[in-house]
Amino acid sequence: MLQHRLIQISGIVLSVVYSALIVWLYWTEPRTFREVATGAQVAAGTYQVDGEKFAAGLSLFRREQFRAARDEWQRADPAQNDALTQFYIAYSFYREGWGRVYNDDELFRQGLERVNRTIAISGQPFSLSSNEDSDLQIRTAAELKAELEQGTERSLEDANPLKLMRKRK
Amino acid sequence: MSKALINADRSRNQALLRFVVLPLIFLTVALLGGLRVQSDGGVFMFIPPPLVTLILAVLLLLLFVRGALIDPRAWISFNNSLVTNLSAVLTIIALFFASAQAFNSVLPERGLLHWLFSFFFLWTLWNNQFSSFDARRLVRSLIVLFGTAFVLKHMIFANLYGPDSGWLQRLAGSLVQGISLGTLDAPAFSPATGYISFFTLALYISGLLLVMLAHPTNTSPPLALTLNEVEKRELRD
Repeated sequence: MLQHRLIQISGIVLSVVYSALIVWLYWTEPRTFREVATGAQVAAGTYQVDGEKFAAGLSLFRREQFRAARDEWQRADPAQNDALTQFYIAYSFYREGWGRVYNDDELFRQGLERVNRTIAISGQPFSLSSNEDSDLQIRTAAELKAELEQGTERSLEDANPLKLMRKRK
Repeated sequence: MSKALINADRSRNQALLRFVVLPLIFLTVALLGGLRVQSDGGVFMFIPPPLVTLILAVLLLLLFVRGALIDPRAWISFNNSLVTNLSAVLTIIALFFASAQAFNSVLPERGLLHWLFSFFFLWTLWNNQFSSFDARRLVRSLIVLFGTAFVLKHMIFANLYGPDSGWLQRLAGSLVQGISLGTLDAPAFSPATGYISFFTLALYISGLLLVMLAHPTNTSPPLALTLNEVEKRELRD
């Protein structure tokens, strides 16, 4: 009788866990087995960014090779779940899209998507710590978001010749 | 081996089948029924059950009850323990979603074909509601129903629209497209999708056969159907 009850309870537990897994798979819609594994790591809280690839991306970013940097960061954070990496990706879109005369709207729009993701992931106002990359003038996600939003807006200020004097942050 | 020991083994195996194996089989069907593999890059696509498949699953569940494949009054009862009832509810829910996903697996994803298939499924299940069934006949009829839909979708139509089909097939596909004014358009999936669908349907049918094994009393036809007229008269006398 006890064995019978044990079988029933284990059946219920297995069914509930399996159902949750199925709902999760249909909810997250992973495209490959690798994405399934990454998603499972995120769900289990064991997900970590590949530090080596992140550093390689940072080095490319400092050499102004923004696209290559983004490629490295994409590989470092395939689940797009690390606020710092997403912030840097957004920053690379800003720097690549910035222009003295006009900005590249498409790159700024992609940057805006990433900075919004940074804010969503971090859950609280995101900012770089004081020892992180002192070359960057924009230190918080909110500042970067404002900068990217301003860059995509059209206003009379765009016709101001003094705009040519501004500097990239 | 003593009779008591054999009975204990049988009881344990039956419990394993009813409470562990059956829900897991139906949940696997629910998982794989909506899985497609795209032809370019082998990327997974998870297609949740469309609304029409949920309606089809309700009709099929009603048929299961009518055909005595499942007996809700015996499965969920005041006489059963809470755990037994809970387990039965989970199995029925799993069976419902497995049925929906089995339909999803053989239903074309869009276009006129999707609605044609849905209509034929609805028509068949609705007609069956008014026929006399027992569990064996019901399962046999379902094998034919799903088998036909599988052949049509994954062997005939998939070949007409597949990217790696021959020129004759592509020509036939273009002709069909032209005649139907483009309404028969179907997405192209990798051949792996057909294999997954086949495995899903095989698993679903196996699950239904195992339900008959796990609940043998359900599957025996009603006494009135098995007796001939003379026996019935004798019984009445």
